[in-house]
Amino acid sequence: MAGSGTAHLRGRDDVILRVQNLVMEFPTGRHQVVHAVSNLSFDIRRGETLGIVGESGCGKSTTARAVVQLPPPISGQVTLSPETEDAVELTALEGERLRQVRPRIQMIFQDPISSLNPRRVVHDIVEEGLHIWPERLQGQDIQAKVDEVLESVGIDSVVATNRRPHEFSGGQCQRISIARAVVLEPEILICDEPVSALDVSIQAQILDLLQEMKDRYGLTLIFISHDLAVVRNVSDRVIVMYLGKVCEVGDADALYSAPAHPYTRVLLASAPEPAKNVSGVEAAIGDEIPSPLAPPSGCRFRTRCPRAEIRCAEEEPVISAIEDDHFVACHFPILNGKQRE
Amino acid sequence: MSGALLTVQDLSVGFLTEQGLVRAVEGVSFVLEPGQTLGVVGESGSGKSVTAKALMNLLPSYSQISGNVNFGNRDLFSMAASREKHFWGVEMAMVFQDPMTSLNPVKKVGEQIAESLRVHLNRNRHQALAEAGDLLEQVGIPEPGKRLTQYPHELSGGLRQRVVIAIALACGPRLLIADEPTTALDVTVQKHILDLLDELRRDRGMAMILITHDLGVVKGRTDEVMVMYAGHTVEKSPTGTLFAEMRHPYTEALLETIPRIDTPKHSRLIPIPGRPPEVIEVLPGCAYAPRCRYSIKSCLNEQPGLKSHSAGHHCACHAPVGTPSGMEARAANEAAGITVAGLDMSQFSGIEDKAEEKRSGGED
Repeated sequence: MAGSGTAHLRGRDDVILRVQNLVMEFPTGRHQVVHAVSNLSFDIRRGETLGIVGESGCGKSTTARAVVQLPPPISGQVTLSPETEDAVELTALEGERLRQVRPRIQMIFQDPISSLNPRRVVHDIVEEGLHIWPERLQGQDIQAKVDEVLESVGIDSVVATNRRPHEFSGGQCQRISIARAVVLEPEILICDEPVSALDVSIQAQILDLLQEMKDRYGLTLIFISHDLAVVRNVSDRVIVMYLGKVCEVGDADALYSAPAHPYTRVLLASAPEPAKNVSGVEAAIGDEIPSPLAPPSGCRFRTRCPRAEIRCAEEEPVISAIEDDHFVACHFPILNGKQRE
Repeated sequence: MSGALLTVQDLSVGFLTEQGLVRAVEGVSFVLEPGQTLGVVGESGSGKSVTAKALMNLLPSYSQISGNVNFGNRDLFSMAASREKHFWGVEMAMVFQDPMTSLNPVKKVGEQIAESLRVHLNRNRHQALAEAGDLLEQVGIPEPGKRLTQYPHELSGGLRQRVVIAIALACGPRLLIADEPTTALDVTVQKHILDLLDELRRDRGMAMILITHDLGVVKGRTDEVMVMYAGHTVEKSPTGTLFAEMRHPYTEALLETIPRIDTPKHSRLIPIPGRPPEVIEVLPGCAYAPRCRYSIKSCLNEQPGLKSHSAGHHCACHAPVGTPSGMEARAANEAAGITVAGLDMSQFSGIEDKAEEKRSGGED
């Protein structure tokens, strides 16, 4: 996977977040470094949902955390509203100035129960953000806002005033997490595997709710998941990641109907009910992801790639367009995917 | 029936808790022939894992178990303690969901596999380790010799699950129970593990019970599927028949609620309203009725029994999907805007066509 490069970035006014050349590394004990995210770039337009998909360890969650500067990346830029006059470069901010920007990006996490404080009543959990930002709302308005948001996620606000998280089911706790994130009226909501811990019958309820909240509060979503079908369903644009790099970026339907990167095809062929435009044979790769301590040279996917040649070890592929809003970082992309559909 | 490997009749499991009796499994029956695969599908709390644990004799002593389970000609629940020791783990073995926690972190992989060979089959240490190496090779682990001397933390999740499978297979079981064997794994690894289980089953003529929450996993990999809801079997059918003509509203809803990889972005999903019942509340009628689009009066006060629809296809429903009574019930509920159980039907409006499309698109 290669891919470095920024061909897939869009220089439009309505880009709300741009991440450029993001690098995230973690030192380990023995003078080694985990290369979690290497030279990753992407952008999101206002109101768009960006899906990030990949196997565990590919850096999807690290990317999300680096965007909110938890912790700040080693290098690279994370810019809010980059094409406007009030562009904010998050990596350049510290302390109070960074804190001032934080309400603009909120997050919800995978495990809904452990991400809520078990000792507090739900109403207080949702309300807390508004107390941290007293200049936004006061007194009665806070109550009204909390009630409104709880109502919109389908939690009875009277019940919420005297119950704690353990008295709610997993699906309801995820609704509460969404309420807590949305109450500050963020511009961007980062959802890190929001439905992975939920039962299948609850999953669709939460996905529907996210869509509803997006329309209602004008949110822009970053949606991280390992589930390819879920990502296609919710996303406008999808990034496929592998070992900290981008493989393929594009409009969700274009990417799924004509997957060009061998890794995207492997993922699609491995799903329990594989996509019809890839053959099952394509899933036949080794199941070992190389260690992020010493990622392969050149294209990082080459060690598992059925199409790898010498060039893939020597030269890192640069991301390039194969059609409108569909980009791939591969020396030997599969470009006839569409015909097979 | 004569050749059946496993016969489960009217299995019920209850746990007495402070809140009351939890009826985790209620009257589950099935028959498994040698070499066959049964898929058990359900959400958390549906009783699928408790069923598996009951078969494996792994339930805590305070659980209240009733029913008959026969393995070959042996009655599992009345087996003498002296024979038990060499039954579970030898004739019948289990693979658990989480490969991280089902291995002993402070013992080498080779010793963990060799352990059951030494205990059950009286192999000496040397023989057992040699056989462990062969087993690792059979489950597709490269460099088995090196892996034998490694600890679980040195292996990836996929390799660890292969080790767990090797341990389960060590004594050549005739039945393998796999409880969500791939839920904790990545999709690419999941496919490998499911393929491996299938291959091993075929090579060894072993029967398998594959427990999962994902209908996609059982499709194409099992001979028969049993769908469970709140401790009950709601539908049981040969796999092909189930996907072609599902009868239970819950099975239908499960399939419609999952996003599919080949439907366009932003396709509307049909959520299942509400949530699974607490199995402590004993409902007089069908446990699914409060969430069901097909419910009729009798669903509220009369528990539906399993009825046969075609060869081997059973469904516990008063108004099954695709039958005149079911269509009538649904039409009546739609006209009324609310079901007899008080479910608001308006949330489903405008998605009927899509449901049809989705289903016809899903059959290949």
